[in-house]
Amino acid sequence: MTRNALGREIPERIGGRTVAPFAGAFAKIPTGTKAPRLQKGAPQREDKVLPTLEAAIEACGLQSGMTVSFHHSFREGDRVINLVLGTCARMGIRDLRIFPTALFGVHEPIVGHIESGVVSRIEGSMNGPVGAFISKGGKLREPAVLRSHGGRWRAIEAGDVEIDVAFIAAPQADPYGNATGIRGKTPCGPITFQAVDAQYARKTVVVTNDLAPYPVYPMEIQQGWTDYVVVVDEIGDPASISAGTLQLTNSPTNLLIARLTVDAVMASPYFKDGISFQGGAGGVSLAATKFLGDEMDKAKIVGSFGMGGGTKMLVDLLRRGQLRAILDGQAFDLDAIASLREDPAHLIMDPGIYANYDSRGCATYKLDVAFLGATEVDLDFNVNVNTHSDGQLLHGIGGHQDVAAGAAMTMITLPALRGRIPPIVDRVTTVTTPGEVVDVIVTERGIAVNPRRGDLRERFLAAGLPVRDLAEIKRDAGRYIQPVRRPVFGDEVIAAIEWRDGTVIDVVRKVEGWQ
Amino acid sequence: METRVGSDAKADCLVTARAAERASVTVATKNRNLLETGIRAVAEAVIESFGSPAVAVEVQDQGALDYVLAARIETAIRRVLPEAKPVQAVKGARAASDPDRPRRSRLYAPGNNPRLLVGIDIHGTDCVLLDLEDSVPLAEKGAARTLVKRLLAVVPFPDEVWVRINPLDAGGRDDLAEVLEGRPHGVCLPKAETGESVRELSKELGRIERRLGFDVGSTHIMPIIETARGVLRCEDVAEADERVVVVAFGAEDYTRDIGARRTDEALLFARSRVVAAAKAAGVQASDTVYADLANDAGLADECARARDLGFDGKGAINPRQIPILHHVFSPSAAELERAKAIVEAAREAESRGLGAVAVDGRMVDQPVVERARRLIKYAEKISKGGAA
Repeated sequence: MTRNALGREIPERIGGRTVAPFAGAFAKIPTGTKAPRLQKGAPQREDKVLPTLEAAIEACGLQSGMTVSFHHSFREGDRVINLVLGTCARMGIRDLRIFPTALFGVHEPIVGHIESGVVSRIEGSMNGPVGAFISKGGKLREPAVLRSHGGRWRAIEAGDVEIDVAFIAAPQADPYGNATGIRGKTPCGPITFQAVDAQYARKTVVVTNDLAPYPVYPMEIQQGWTDYVVVVDEIGDPASISAGTLQLTNSPTNLLIARLTVDAVMASPYFKDGISFQGGAGGVSLAATKFLGDEMDKAKIVGSFGMGGGTKMLVDLLRRGQLRAILDGQAFDLDAIASLREDPAHLIMDPGIYANYDSRGCATYKLDVAFLGATEVDLDFNVNVNTHSDGQLLHGIGGHQDVAAGAAMTMITLPALRGRIPPIVDRVTTVTTPGEVVDVIVTERGIAVNPRRGDLRERFLAAGLPVRDLAEIKRDAGRYIQPVRRPVFGDEVIAAIEWRDGTVIDVVRKVEGWQ
Repeated sequence: METRVGSDAKADCLVTARAAERASVTVATKNRNLLETGIRAVAEAVIESFGSPAVAVEVQDQGALDYVLAARIETAIRRVLPEAKPVQAVKGARAASDPDRPRRSRLYAPGNNPRLLVGIDIHGTDCVLLDLEDSVPLAEKGAARTLVKRLLAVVPFPDEVWVRINPLDAGGRDDLAEVLEGRPHGVCLPKAETGESVRELSKELGRIERRLGFDVGSTHIMPIIETARGVLRCEDVAEADERVVVVAFGAEDYTRDIGARRTDEALLFARSRVVAAAKAAGVQASDTVYADLANDAGLADECARARDLGFDGKGAINPRQIPILHHVFSPSAAELERAKAIVEAAREAESRGLGAVAVDGRMVDQPVVERARRLIKYAEKISKGGAA
């Protein structure tokens, strides 16, 4: 065991790998070279269409013990992960390591594949039922590894994870292997999350339900990377992309948080012509994005760019001329997908452009302001988005670390009271994002400013905003609820949380009791 | 006999209770590991506060805060054992509020809806108004009373908090007996029609204040004028008692009572009468609520017209309306500047021994100077905030 820079106990080895403990958000200096990419063989003039998924799996030489990767652009509507794993199971392939960009509730069948031995390792977010299954004692051969969107891209380039076969759900593809997510019968938004998989995987299979004549564009996935194209009936349901998100909140508490958030932005040095911001798909983020747009309109300022996940809210700002561009890694609703086709200033951004630590530039570093959520924050401003207070692993990292590290002012929005479980704690159950990159925490009971940002604190106070100590807000909320019990963790590590540079910021251990 | 209190809605809990051989608590919650011990502790404390009667209590939790849990459990115990008396009253501690403090907004909150009550203290409204009357169905009146009492006892409202009781002869006395323990700043009397009803309420308040050891006379009264009779006699109502600090107008019931449509014309008579009655009695006047939540411009317009009629504030049905109310009913920067200039000129005239005061070359009467002084003081109270 070693203690990393946040004092979290980290094992020296996890799975087969030696662990580098987290040393600080920007402590690591990338050196050396990136991993080599396989030469995939002779130049090819012929089309790459194979009749069935089975044929593609065979042609790739996919065998037990190998690593397969997927993207999550269909979110709750995805059909491809279940289809591929089900086909592998029927073909007798076992012991797979899966490497998705994220998992959702729709992927519950993976639990069955873990129980039957088809899947034995997971590198990637553990949203919902799979996380719950692992937390409750379901066994993987090695601990899961969770990475941010930028961290995943970096890990592939660094050779930390080698992909045998990348399966890429493509709403439209041509027979020569170009593919896009924004056209076709069932568009899902950008699929460039897997652009790096397609380049580094030993074999790349494009799975589409809409085979169109050459050339399909934009070439999010390129012909030079693709080995095979397979046509199936169904790859996903776009109607489910926005399931569970994208309701503009009507909760007075959430609206108040959104209002305070925007008031704080207006009091900050960043509320001026050229402001850039990232807004997510949660109710508070959406409301804050709307309020901020209204204020920009009143003040007659134009933003340089808004960062997605793309939403109707951002698209409206672009079309009204209040933003010069949208940089978009994934679509959170159908309006955003339509806009990606129609608005030239709505740009597809792959995670390498977005947030690759081992590079000379990230779009997130150009952000002035970001609104992010949390399941827990602690008095050191550390943020947890991965586990619940009961220690269960239930969410992925998404872009949380990347955006928080990048934005000049990272704002965490969360209610001080969320039912009977306190979101502000002495020490987060799991650290996803370190306090050193979190500037402001906005609750309905006050705004807490990281002591590192005395400049913001002074501006907020001058603007008459309710600036308070986080400990005081915590005490305030605590008067309404009895203390909750806390999980007691054993030694067994069920997941590692990587910081975006590849070091380990925390691990999730198995819960053994309660105190 | 078995009773059920509360609901399975978010932020509430469903409590089942029945007489049993001995006291017991069963807890069901989605987060058993985290929450069961805390919920049990709340339940046991409430049972103990009744002298540990033999009652079996089951709690199905939906994320209810402690005071919600406690209120539901208390109501259940009292229904099963009507004779049971708490060993100790739940008591709020709250200083009396300044009778002349700003009341630009009064935010209504339904008294038996925990989801809407959580965080009702944080929206910066001048007055929160916890409602036991129209928003609470008859069968829930008892549960609402207890919930409001428990809420009042633990939530430290930064500004003023009021309770709208039921009419005195329709449950209002029971409301008072219970919620006053939570120590609200004031009580709203709905459908006020006579000075007599206000004096009756005042007497009842005095009795309870004495019983609870509060200063007699410290609880304010806000009569709500919302019937034809009330409008015609509102001067009696406004002058009836020292406790009256503000008279409110309610348009919904009034238009129904007189068979009018809700137009400005139909309401003008009533509004003007209420304002005149309040001002004649030296108290504030507060206008009715504006129901179209989505129409901010309409709300601002109605506020401005109410202000021009002489109202000091207005009702709100949603926190989002509050900033607009506060904007319209606060003195503007220009008004404040002018008032300061008048007061300064008066001070100077006095120091020079002059009888007449002039501002910008125009003579100013003494009542105008007084009014300017009041406006400055009022603006100071607004910027200072707080109930005192």
